[in-house]
Amino acid sequence: MTAPAASTDVVTLRDLDEPGRVPALVAFVSAVAWLLVGSLLGLVASLKFNFPDWWTGWAPATFGRVRAAHLNAMIYGWASLAMLGISVWLVPRLVHAPLRWPRVATGGIVFWNGAILVGVLALLAGWTDGLEWLEFPRSVVDPMLIVAGGMVGVTLLGTVLGGRARHLYVSVWYVAAAFVWFPIIFVTGNLPVFRGVESAAVNWFYAHNALGFWLTAIGLGAVYYFIPKVLGRPIYSYQLSLLGFWTLAFFYALNGMHHLIGGPLPTWMITTSIVASVLMVIPVAAVAVNHHMSMVGRFASLRYSPTLRFVVLGAVAYTAVSLQGIFTAFREVNRITHFTHWTIAHSHVGVYAFVTFVMFGSVYYVIPRLVGRDWPDGRLIAWHFWLALGGIGAFVLALNLGGVLQGLALMDPQVPFQASVEAAAPWLAVRSLAGVVLTAAHLVFAWHLWKVLRRAPTVGPLPPWHDPRPVVVPPPGPWS
Amino acid sequence: MLVSSAVVVSVGLLLGAIGLGAFIWAFWVGAFESLDEQARCILDERDLRMRRPWETPGQARERRRLYGGPLEPGPGEWGGALGRGGR
Repeated sequence: MTAPAASTDVVTLRDLDEPGRVPALVAFVSAVAWLLVGSLLGLVASLKFNFPDWWTGWAPATFGRVRAAHLNAMIYGWASLAMLGISVWLVPRLVHAPLRWPRVATGGIVFWNGAILVGVLALLAGWTDGLEWLEFPRSVVDPMLIVAGGMVGVTLLGTVLGGRARHLYVSVWYVAAAFVWFPIIFVTGNLPVFRGVESAAVNWFYAHNALGFWLTAIGLGAVYYFIPKVLGRPIYSYQLSLLGFWTLAFFYALNGMHHLIGGPLPTWMITTSIVASVLMVIPVAAVAVNHHMSMVGRFASLRYSPTLRFVVLGAVAYTAVSLQGIFTAFREVNRITHFTHWTIAHSHVGVYAFVTFVMFGSVYYVIPRLVGRDWPDGRLIAWHFWLALGGIGAFVLALNLGGVLQGLALMDPQVPFQASVEAAAPWLAVRSLAGVVLTAAHLVFAWHLWKVLRRAPTVGPLPPWHDPRPVVVPPPGPWS
Repeated sequence: MLVSSAVVVSVGLLLGAIGLGAFIWAFWVGAFESLDEQARCILDERDLRMRRPWETPGQARERRRLYGGPLEPGPGEWGGALGRGGR
């Protein structure tokens, strides 16, 4: 690897990619391993709704432990690690500077994996903080995550600050902001000073912001890169992309309290959250219009590009989950959907149909550029896509319908509680079937990744997209 | 309730202050100028000149007119091997 010169110069994409290659590969491979672990845990948890007496004699396999292990393996294992991988690959390309301190980034990603392993084992052993999205023991695992994330964050923010691009593309804003926001909300959520309803308020402050300021931020950053990159044309409106970013930054922070509608909290707190949720229509509309208009007239590209196929569907899911979230934040809707499977469907639209699909598409684009060879089998990509789409479609449809029926039954004082359980039962069976399909999709994906990684290095000319294409590096930007 | 309200509000304000500070800084360094150039900064010559098989004849003509003779895409150019038999 040749370090780029300090002044106006020409480097190559390979120069920019190379330092981030190892940390990105470690992140992607371990992310997919956690995807498989999390899928199996989720499947076991789902089956326990259909067969409540199944596998109850062994405490680690009981629902309360398996469900928490599934959630944390997926959020912090799969999604976060995939996002770390995308970030260390994407940021150097965008700021025209190689990744700073790549060994620190690799160490951080390895340490992050260690934290997840300890955390998942702790949850299965019954050691939990008992807070949604914060189940990992705060005395052991959370400090490890802070250190590990900090190691990666320092390398990325250092790369941005030392960047030499003339402009900070909107994806850099999203990714860099995520690495500033996440430690703040994570530390706040883990402060060990809250009890009872206070704890619930801070818990949802964290959990909702983890979705908006971490998963959404890096997910949208990737969408804003891959759609124009594959289409070979700029995003429809760069103004709208900036509007979307800044309004997310200003309006999102207080959204979380809408999860506590009906709870013993001050009315102003809930109302403020509902107002903030409604304000989210601005960034959501800005992003949705921008992505849609960028694709208009070019939807045929989805037949050719697996990356676009996943990323565009992920972008559509972002719009869907955001509008659903705004809708659900209204008290009249929330009193029906709260405490039902609707919420589970909603979170899966966000974390799976949006974030996971964007990560799948990103991995399909990035891995060949990291290893210098193409994915070996287009049929496996097609299988992966259709299984994932079919699985999440059935999952969301079933739990949305089942959740509403369950909620209506719960609302009716004439209906016994048992009826609400029975109303949801058939939909829970569909959910488990969808879980089987999703797990199959992930196995196909993991198998394909294994195949591309174990193939012999390309002999002869590299694919054209891997050639050392020149990148003109201008004088330092104002942030350098 | 006082403690959690104070924390949530103060951290919310901190997040807002960080955003506001970043916004003012971005404005000051000219991050909201030359937006058209910013939108194009991720695209290099190969991205712009490459033939896209999904484009209509009109779109392809426009691409040639703006950026010159087309470059042929390589296998897996669009993020995977879908073009080689997978649908």
